[in-house]
Amino acid sequence: MQSNAALEYDYSVAKLFTYTAILFGFVGMLIGTLIAAQLAFPELNYLLGEYGTFSRLRPLHTNVVIYGFTLSGVWATFYYSAQRVLKVSMAESKFIMFLGKFHFGLYLVAAVAMVLTLLMGITTSKEYAQMEWPLDIIIVVIWVTWGLAMFALIGIRREKALYISMWYFIACFLGVAMLYLFNNMEVPTYFASGGVGSMMHSVSMYAGTNDALVQWWWGHNAVAFVFTVPIVAMIYYFLPKESGQAVYSYKLSLLSFWGLMFVYLWAGSHHLLWSTVPDWMQTMGSIFSVVLILPSWGSAINMLLTMKGEWNQLTENPLIKFMVLASTFYMLSTLEGPIQAIKSVNAIAHFTDWIPGHVHDGVLGWVAFMIMAALFHMAPRMFKREIYSKKLIEAQFWLQTTAVVLYFTSMWIAGITQGMMWRAVDEYGNLMYSFIDTVTVLHPYYAIRALSGVLFLTGFLMFAYNMVKTMTSSRKLEEEPQFSSPMA
Amino acid sequence: MNALMIKALAFSAVLIGATLAVVKSMNIDLSDPINMITMIGAIAIAVLTFGVSAKYINQMKTDTAQGELAEENWDGIGEYKNELPGGWAYSFLGTMIWAIWYWTIGYPVNSFSQIGQWNEEVKAYNIKFEKTNKNADKATLTEMGESIFLVQCAPCHGSTGDGLSGKAHDFTSRMSKAQVLDVIEKGSDQLGYAMGAMPPMMATGQDAEAIAAYVAGGMKGEQPASFGVCAGCHGADGKGMGGTAPNIASFDEDLIVHVVKSGKKGALGVMPAFHDRMTPVQTKALATYIKTLGQGE
Amino acid sequence: MFHWLEKNPFFFSVGVFLVIAFAGLIEILPNFAEASRPVVGLKPYSVLELAGKNIYMKDQCIACHSQLIRPFKAETDRYGQYSLSGEYAYDRPFLWGSKRTGPDLHRVGNYRTTDWHENHMWEPTSVVPGSIMPAYKHMFTNVADIATAYAEAVTVKNIFKTPYGDEIQPGVEAFEAHKPAILAEAQKIAAGMKNQDVKDAVKAGNVPEIVALIAYLNRLK
Ligand code: HEC
Ligand code: HEC
Ligand code: HEC
Ligand code: HEM
Ligand code: HEM
Ligand SMILES: [Ca+2]
Ligand SMILES: [Ca+2]
Ligand SMILES: [Cu+2]
Repeated sequence: MQSNAALEYDYSVAKLFTYTAILFGFVGMLIGTLIAAQLAFPELNYLLGEYGTFSRLRPLHTNVVIYGFTLSGVWATFYYSAQRVLKVSMAESKFIMFLGKFHFGLYLVAAVAMVLTLLMGITTSKEYAQMEWPLDIIIVVIWVTWGLAMFALIGIRREKALYISMWYFIACFLGVAMLYLFNNMEVPTYFASGGVGSMMHSVSMYAGTNDALVQWWWGHNAVAFVFTVPIVAMIYYFLPKESGQAVYSYKLSLLSFWGLMFVYLWAGSHHLLWSTVPDWMQTMGSIFSVVLILPSWGSAINMLLTMKGEWNQLTENPLIKFMVLASTFYMLSTLEGPIQAIKSVNAIAHFTDWIPGHVHDGVLGWVAFMIMAALFHMAPRMFKREIYSKKLIEAQFWLQTTAVVLYFTSMWIAGITQGMMWRAVDEYGNLMYSFIDTVTVLHPYYAIRALSGVLFLTGFLMFAYNMVKTMTSSRKLEEEPQFSSPMA
Repeated sequence: MNALMIKALAFSAVLIGATLAVVKSMNIDLSDPINMITMIGAIAIAVLTFGVSAKYINQMKTDTAQGELAEENWDGIGEYKNELPGGWAYSFLGTMIWAIWYWTIGYPVNSFSQIGQWNEEVKAYNIKFEKTNKNADKATLTEMGESIFLVQCAPCHGSTGDGLSGKAHDFTSRMSKAQVLDVIEKGSDQLGYAMGAMPPMMATGQDAEAIAAYVAGGMKGEQPASFGVCAGCHGADGKGMGGTAPNIASFDEDLIVHVVKSGKKGALGVMPAFHDRMTPVQTKALATYIKTLGQGE
Repeated sequence: MFHWLEKNPFFFSVGVFLVIAFAGLIEILPNFAEASRPVVGLKPYSVLELAGKNIYMKDQCIACHSQLIRPFKAETDRYGQYSLSGEYAYDRPFLWGSKRTGPDLHRVGNYRTTDWHENHMWEPTSVVPGSIMPAYKHMFTNVADIATAYAEAVTVKNIFKTPYGDEIQPGVEAFEAHKPAILAEAQKIAAGMKNQDVKDAVKAGNVPEIVALIAYLNRLK
């Protein structure tokens, strides 16, 4: 093991991804708030002509928050924390620096192209895999570049054993690589038809039920390897680091990791319950979803136990608050998901608003909270200034917590009601409600959700403002803080 | 119980209470097994998540960190060699045993068929429906008809049956003049009456106008002489001669049965055929209801 | 053992890959051939219908509409016969969706008609008061991309053996030769519509998006 002399870590790539995380976070959530409002107030569909309808904007929302915001957050935290837990600086290798910058540059190009093509309606329609084939190719190059950068850093590491966060980053890389490739196998029609029609258009390699299976093998695991695995990587680094506490249990980390890896992939067919997929596959997805509760909760519990005895940190440090609540929301979505995967429950839950409710426990309460807390933690180290305002973080925390609670409670009630109304029969055994009855009844909940969007977005703006102020005009720091982040 | 736990459980209780209240206000039958399992699932999610996380968060207040540290240290982050939390480890083991049981003994491959389940659901329902509705009286049929109408027909005919400003047939009057004129001009061969087709151009010009006005007016007042040609098939009273041709004076069950079964293309647009998607009792109920909309026999 | 893995990133990665890779094989492969078989009598989409499907994708109706009727009585009463795997054999991509903000559409061709769609797509609340579906007026003026739909038919015919007839051949000339047939089909749809601009456009050889979309919706049975 090397000496403990401080290394000069190079944060230039981490900074770049931090900027895009803030930018895409804002854009993505702005669109999220708009589409939430459109369901409550349909007149809002006509602000941008054909480009402004709910249906054009919804995939834009999901893609911008996933591939824009979340991946930027993942890469910002990766390029920041990997150097530190591996104890190497990117600056030590010109090659790695090049990879990092190339990674970012190409990513930015792809992200802009993604926004433009989706707005124009160029899409393959498979959820979370909407981008057309030319973008898929760019994405593969981006992913390979990241992998090279990661394994090059690992190759020159000074810390022999990989820290838990690195396990999860590696899993994220491998999982997405495998699944994305298979799910995006498509044939461009222009080239297969002797030059007729649009160059951008393609058809899927798989049809019908097979396409569905491949899609949800990916779709579910996009959740696993984009919304779960790299975020777990973040919490394992940033919570112990910010609090100065040692991770509660190595064994628990170990079992949770390998358990998660083993079980996650089997659960994909819970998106296809009661469909035309064979019964036994559905059952398999259902069972493994329930087993998945424990490896998921394992990481969350490990993090909560890491904070044992640290009540004062919880009350005094808003970043700790964000991360502890993130664990809790992670527990919520990883219990809610498995229960929605029980076939009888899914008969009600599937197709309803209870699913977006479940989604946003995870993405707002867990993913967005973790990314914002991590970026806050990184800012004083990257920009050598203290965080601009603690008060603002506190206010942001309460505002956004309220927002998440409003989001999931309103969609919880809306979804269960809607699901039960679709099934309801009158005393004669005929359907009790016409479809439109089940739509109009949701208006108040849609309005509450739109409000929650406004609150969450306002909180995000406070975060962005705080970050920009921290970068530009906050008090300068003489030396890098070891644990808790200094804030004014 | 500590304060945090009480708050957590109170929050769960409020959420579940609110859900139940909303669902109940929609007349949902919670004794339906699917509904019941769903509610139990919802309760489990709320109580377990908020209860368990409150338990661990409370430990931040009451417990202290301790254990043997591993020798590694990453960027200042240490790691304890603590044992697994018992509850977690046993639950994990438990779910794995349950999964293996479920897969090998409980529901092995091919022991469940969703289509089989659907068949049984439908069979059970049909038997019950037969029994309860064999001798339904008019009031029952009207009520049943209204509810079917709202689900199946209202998207075109409007929830009051007024045809949404001429987008589909308006049940508050028998027919509009334009509709009758269109049939006279083009004839009709789509409803499947015993008499078969009605030929086109049985009347023209003034005659047609007069007939159309008369039929559209509900066949009240003086009958134009030219109506005779129509009476040959529809009867002098327009009632369709005992179901061999459509009743053009008022809505009757025959007409609804034919239109629902075959669909209809006319001056206003096209109505799809419902083929066998309605049971005879349901069609009868629809007819009974439509007759109450203003132009029944 | 695990601690050893943690010090050997290569084997660690191989381990992770193996653990995550084989679930997919077990769940997807066994049924692959079976699930590709069409139901008896299933016809491939016509070029016009394909163009309509592409508009359904372009405007992302899938954001609100499913195309999968589950085997529950409540669902078969509302939408018709539950869906069968073989009915989707020519669906690339599958369009089952995952959210029903609006109703299922897998058999909407059975219980809605051209003129109804015309009214509804122009202004949903004019037929269903309280509807929150957006109006798609731009579809009445935008011209559908028939050429790309044709290219799609050629592609699936040649690569996936979708049973199209001899009239579907590669190349721009073959497309031009097939175009009258597409226009004739569009004429039939336009005849059931009331919008005069749409009828005129079709007569002039352009197919407005709405015509192709309705052809597709009518085909969903
Ligand atoms: C040869 C017998 C015959 C004659 C004459 C005849 N009809 Fe008909 N009419 C029918 C039959 C049969 C139908 C049902 C056709 C179908 O199945 O579409 C019908 C249908 C109609 C309908 C449509 C009913 C509905 O509810 O959709 C109208 C209106 C109508 N006739 C009016 C007239 C008038 C007015 C005349 C005289 C000018 C006339 N018919 C003469 C046999 C006749
Ligand atoms: C997709 C739209 C649509 C649906 C759904 C629909 N209808 Fe219609 N219906 C029409 C249209 C359009 C007409 C008028 C045809 C014309 O005369 O131009 C019509 C005509 C009718 C007529 C004919 C009246 C006459 O005298 O000719 C009856 C009866 C009728 N509908 C009953 C029903 C019932 C009962 C249901 C539900 C089970 C139903 N319709 C569902 C569109 C619809
Ligand atoms: C914001 C959500 C939303 C979007 C996007 C949307 N719809 Fe709808 N759709 C609805 C709702 C809600 C209904 C039920 C109320 C109604 O009939 O308008 C509906 C009803 C329908 C119906 C009637 C089905 C029936 O059984 O009555 C059709 C057909 C339809 N939509 C087609 C489309 C098409 C095609 C698109 C895309 C171009 C689309 N919808 C986009 C929400 C949406
Ligand atoms: C134990 C872990 C989890 C399980 C078993 C699980 C299970 C489920 C189930 C059953 C559905 C609904 C499928 C349907 O009926 O349409 C679903 C949807 C979804 N979940 Fe989870 N979930 C888990 C964790 C998470 C987490 C942590 C997140 C995000 C952070 C998440 C994000 C999503 C998303 C985005 C969808 C929507 C997919 C779609 O578009 O249809 N899930 N999940
Ligand atoms: C301001 C905050 C946000 C609001 C108001 C919001 C709103 C919405 C709305 C209205 C939908 C469509 C739901 C439907 O079709 O019924 C949606 C879908 C979705 N959003 Fe968000 N969103 C927000 C933030 C986020 C963030 C930060 C993420 C991810 C990091 C995210 C990920 C998703 C995903 C994955 C879906 C698809 C869910 C599904 O298909 O089931 N959202 N969001
Ligand atoms: Ca793609
Ligand atoms: Ca979805
Ligand atoms: Cu999933």
